[in-house]
Amino acid sequence: MTMPEIRYRRLLALYPRDFRREYEEEMLGVLMADPRPGPAQVFDVLRGALAAHLRGSARESRAARVVQVFGAMLLFAVALRRVSGGVRGALRDYLGSVPVDAVSWVRLAGWGVVLVAAFVGWRMLGAVGATAGLAGEILSPARFYLDTPASVLWAFWLIVAAVVVLIAGLVAERGRARPAGWGWVAAAGMVLVVQGTLISYSWRWAVAGLAVALVGAAVLRQEPGLRRRLACWAAPVIVTVPLVQWGFGGFIEYNMRHPESTQLIGPLQWAALVLVPVAAFAGASVLDRRGLPPAPARQG
Amino acid sequence: MNEPTFLILTALAGESQHGYAVIEDVERMTGGRVRLRAGTLYAALDRLRGEGLIEVDREEVVQSRLRRYYRLTGAGEQSLAAETARLREQATIAEGRLRARRADFGGATA
Repeated sequence: MTMPEIRYRRLLALYPRDFRREYEEEMLGVLMADPRPGPAQVFDVLRGALAAHLRGSARESRAARVVQVFGAMLLFAVALRRVSGGVRGALRDYLGSVPVDAVSWVRLAGWGVVLVAAFVGWRMLGAVGATAGLAGEILSPARFYLDTPASVLWAFWLIVAAVVVLIAGLVAERGRARPAGWGWVAAAGMVLVVQGTLISYSWRWAVAGLAVALVGAAVLRQEPGLRRRLACWAAPVIVTVPLVQWGFGGFIEYNMRHPESTQLIGPLQWAALVLVPVAAFAGASVLDRRGLPPAPARQG
Repeated sequence: MNEPTFLILTALAGESQHGYAVIEDVERMTGGRVRLRAGTLYAALDRLRGEGLIEVDREEVVQSRLRRYYRLTGAGEQSLAAETARLREQATIAEGRLRARRADFGGATA
């Protein structure tokens, strides 16, 4: 390895790892061929490295865009399922009052706005919609927290999913989004809506399995590298299921058996609810990076 | 769209090119006024790939080094066409005003 190459590799080491994996060899070739080495060239590389850190990698921003669209579609479907179920119930019983509360409508509208914003490429509108959706997901179970703390736990996966979609929208690539496989996720959403409104209880698990399979088909249509990154984004949501099931099973059972002395979620339990999804994302990201092909071998 | 981005898309509108060829093409197109550097070029290429305006056409290894050719996508073509129309419109306005200014100036001195 020549001295200039060693120097350039040191400079390129300042770029994010994903960026280096994608462009290091190409950039090295261009730098070596550039007849104008000097401080301006070094400054240009430093500026590029800083910009790459601030912007994040292309793979990350592409994955975030897919997460935003797919996540918003599924959250919209869940919100629509609840609203349509409430409307149907009210129509059937002729209650004559407002059948569905405002929070449910806000949640539905919020995720709808996120979808529209993603498809037309309006990032700020997407953030506003996701914030409204997240507020709805939090407020919906929080209203019953003092009487039934488990309501927050049962809805916790939705809250985490809403946070994930909000963050994904903020770091997603710019421009209009129509990721491959979105039709499959739309079909899964429709299945979820139908499952909650029309299908008898005995068929619910089978239909839910169909929805999961449709989402799986959409994920399989992504590039392999992108699929792994999608798994990282999904990890915080998935981990909430065993977390609530096993970590809070005794807590929920106690409250069910002792309605006269309901326990609220303690500070340590809240910390676990926040930290476990974060740790799941970090752990999945570490595994993802280990699974990536190693950076190009240095010569010399 | 900033000038380096416009010039990179213009370079790739002709044919797929690798990074260093883009630098040389931009330099030729601008008569030596703009010579992109590696950091600027690859930041732009990464961003344009992320926005779906360009994509990798093919890869080859030359002297043990990866050489990747980039090409314009359909969205990139649309974006470049829109920016070209915008610049042409502005240039037409500028030309018209300069022409009028010269006519006024000529009339005043006549």
